[in-house]
Amino acid sequence: MAALVLRRFAAMLAVLFGLAVIVFVLQAVIPSDPARAMVGASASKEAVEAKRHELGYDQPLPAQFADYMGRLAQGDLQSSLRTRNEVVEDLRAFAPATFELAFAAMFLAAIGGLGLGLLLAGGGRAGKGIRLLLIGGASIPAFLTGLLLIVVFYSWLGWLPASGRVGDNFVVPDGPTNFLVIDSILNGTPDLTIDALQHLLLPAITLALLPTLAIARTLATSLDAVQKEDYVRTARAKGLKERTVLLKHALRNASGPALTMGGLQVGLMLGSIVVVERIFAWPGIGLYIDQSIAYSDFPAICGATLLLGATYVFLNFLVDLAQAWADPRIRTV
Amino acid sequence: MTDTPVLDVQDLHVTFASPRGDVHAVRGASLRVMPGEVVGLVGESGSGKSVLGLTALGLLPAAPEPRIEGTAMLDGIDMVTAAEDERRARRGTYISAVFQDPMGSLNPSMRIGRQVAEAAGGATDEEVAQMLAATGIPEPEHKARAYPHELSGGLRQRVMIAMALSRHPRLIVADEPTTALDVTVQAKVLELLADAARERGVALLLVTHDLGVAARICDRIAVAYAGRIVEEGTCAQILSEPHHPYTVGLLASRPKLDGTIAGGDLPTLPGRPPDPRNPLAGCAFAPRCPAADTECAGPVPNHALGERRDECHHPGVLTRWPEGGPHAGRKDPILLKAPHPAQAPAMIPATPPDPAVVVRGAVRAFERPKPFPFAKRPEPFYAVKGVDLEVPHAGSVAIVGESGSGKSTLLRMIVGLLEPTEGEIELGPGAPPQMIFQDAGASLTPWMAIGKQIEERLIALDVPREERERRVLATLEAVGLPGEAATAVPRALSGGQRQRAAIARAIAVPPALLACDEPVSALDVSLAAQVLNLLCHLRETLDIALLFVTHDLAAARAVADEVVVMQQGEVVERAPTEQLFTDPQHPYTRELIAAVPDVTEVEVAA
Repeated sequence: MAALVLRRFAAMLAVLFGLAVIVFVLQAVIPSDPARAMVGASASKEAVEAKRHELGYDQPLPAQFADYMGRLAQGDLQSSLRTRNEVVEDLRAFAPATFELAFAAMFLAAIGGLGLGLLLAGGGRAGKGIRLLLIGGASIPAFLTGLLLIVVFYSWLGWLPASGRVGDNFVVPDGPTNFLVIDSILNGTPDLTIDALQHLLLPAITLALLPTLAIARTLATSLDAVQKEDYVRTARAKGLKERTVLLKHALRNASGPALTMGGLQVGLMLGSIVVVERIFAWPGIGLYIDQSIAYSDFPAICGATLLLGATYVFLNFLVDLAQAWADPRIRTV
Repeated sequence: MTDTPVLDVQDLHVTFASPRGDVHAVRGASLRVMPGEVVGLVGESGSGKSVLGLTALGLLPAAPEPRIEGTAMLDGIDMVTAAEDERRARRGTYISAVFQDPMGSLNPSMRIGRQVAEAAGGATDEEVAQMLAATGIPEPEHKARAYPHELSGGLRQRVMIAMALSRHPRLIVADEPTTALDVTVQAKVLELLADAARERGVALLLVTHDLGVAARICDRIAVAYAGRIVEEGTCAQILSEPHHPYTVGLLASRPKLDGTIAGGDLPTLPGRPPDPRNPLAGCAFAPRCPAADTECAGPVPNHALGERRDECHHPGVLTRWPEGGPHAGRKDPILLKAPHPAQAPAMIPATPPDPAVVVRGAVRAFERPKPFPFAKRPEPFYAVKGVDLEVPHAGSVAIVGESGSGKSTLLRMIVGLLEPTEGEIELGPGAPPQMIFQDAGASLTPWMAIGKQIEERLIALDVPREERERRVLATLEAVGLPGEAATAVPRALSGGQRQRAAIARAIAVPPALLACDEPVSALDVSLAAQVLNLLCHLRETLDIALLFVTHDLAAARAVADEVVVMQQGEVVERAPTEQLFTDPQHPYTRELIAAVPDVTEVEVAA
């Protein structure tokens, strides 16, 4: 198992390097002029050239690349053209909100996918019919779900807030994790916890819906297949209860495809987070990217892309390990 | 011994609904197992034997939903009608099971020890180790921490047996417990199972297609055909004095090691098992029975005398199966043409033709994965370690050995599916070699009609369209398939027909060498005999050399002129077939021969 972790970790580093290269290439080929953007439209040619020289954009590409990788290794993502802050500082400010939302959505998707998958498995015709409906449900784009939820739960019912991370009447703690829900619990402010949860609910559900359905369908299908396996029959021949057979013998062996699907869905979710944060005015990386795009703020866009990409790669590293846990046969490969 | 049977199945009917009509898997079978008795339930696939075993366990598949009539009394309850809770309480404690495929039957993601402890209803590590040790598993404490894929097939089946014994049941249903194992392991596992049952007074219901396996350990044998028990009696009675012609045929179609039939045709049961969707009113075996008459269409009789029972209208009418298979006496010319003029009679040179293949010093290594990145690459695994082999023109050579002996790797190198690491493989003149595989179903493209798959090979040779159709039909005829098979997809054919179709595809352009990888080990005995006969006839009529990889020594004896025994990548013995079986030199060869379950031994003992 230790060898497997090492091998997968090495693979993860390789993928991260590839990601950095791709981001650099995108930055280099996209026809925009960060130096011009920085000094302003009315600046003289000489001023632009001076800025370009200062930023190193007049160097040949290989030199720029070496420079870029060198800075990256030191955790330097340059300064944002828009906020004039170090991009790293900006990300540090915006990332916790995004991660809190993403983790909440992943949690919902995992729980929901598992529960729904178990419910749908072996349901005979009814289960298969519902699965078809779910394919329909899974084709609703996230922005539409978000808007629908806002219309129903905010406009009509008035149960839940539709924008921001927390109500205006609360002071946001400078807590240890920067996850509002967790920090407020640690600080012993239940009112803030409830308010933060209320704000979290709609965007998290919006993000979690598609992954939940995808995971549930995959899990139900593979559970049905596993139920026909000989070892499930062996478990029944031992006189085990049907529930024990399902949870102890079938579920773990059926979880491989659902884990793969979960990993893929995380990627899609990190993509749609930009849109969802915009809809719910969620002060996270998505909103940051959205605003940076309007300014052609390449250092900011690249930094945020690198962060989201790295998160995706890291989560899939975890999925790989989870699969090795679920199926010991993988470990020897 | 008490008089209450541990299992009493009476007039059992099991019917599965299917889109193409009801499948009558079991049609009025009755069977009793007394305490401590070892009973063999023998029949071909589709005879309903496994369904009967699963009914006793209360484990018939839920879909397609079965309709069950009759009773299966076990420990005071009826496993057909009792509530699921009651049936579940009997499983593991009163009745337990050993299934065919020990890899598939153990949970791949759970350590062995936990699975055994679970079967025992909770047990300490020490108890688990004792249970494993009792079934002959070495280093039981260590093995308890292993996952199933880390054990060999034989050890896995021992684990299954340990689980089945763990709660001291009164009855074990063993469904083909040794079929998936190597022949030498088969014998050991079979003995273990029988000894364990006898020592503890556990009754054993051994479900198998192999009369030889049943003969080896059973007190009593019940022969199943088309969902009924057509004959039962003591082991000696069934083997030495079969009443039902089906039993006679089953005994005859088993290739024997004594050589009485080698060289000639294996006797085969004509036709195939009846369609379980349209069961016949009278004796189901009548259409295949050489002794059938009009009476056989009447209601099946029930002759019972003591332990002896049969359902034949004319019990004992056949004492031996008539000679010859489906091809006997048939010498009509086959329309296939050899593709090269070199083989036309006028051009046959005075010197003997070149061998079909010559292998010199063939070595094949497989790289092993590194344990972790940047580690030194481990020594490669040598599957074949320097083998010389020659298959003469139109000759027949069998390679026998257990799994892991390198026999299949060697075969794959010869047909060009693998490159040899060292050594050379020189193919003789003629069309390139073709291969047929164990699982014919998987080796045929599922959505493509059989005729198309055969035709593809002719298209590759630019055979004109009109001639292609003729050659497809001729090829089908040559392998004993009806012309309608040309339009059928593989799924629509039976297992035996699929293997014939695979052979047809291979010989559509007759190759100089036909490589067969366990071509009959997935087939029922009577079908296996038919396919072996077919291969021998094709060799004669088309001058095809056969290279035959098998773990089944009897099959090797039936088809080969020369046998090569492989062990761990090396040839340990090679000899002309008769000599090898009558005078084996290498201890491993002797072990292999001794391990074959043979009905003749028991006949002598009885």
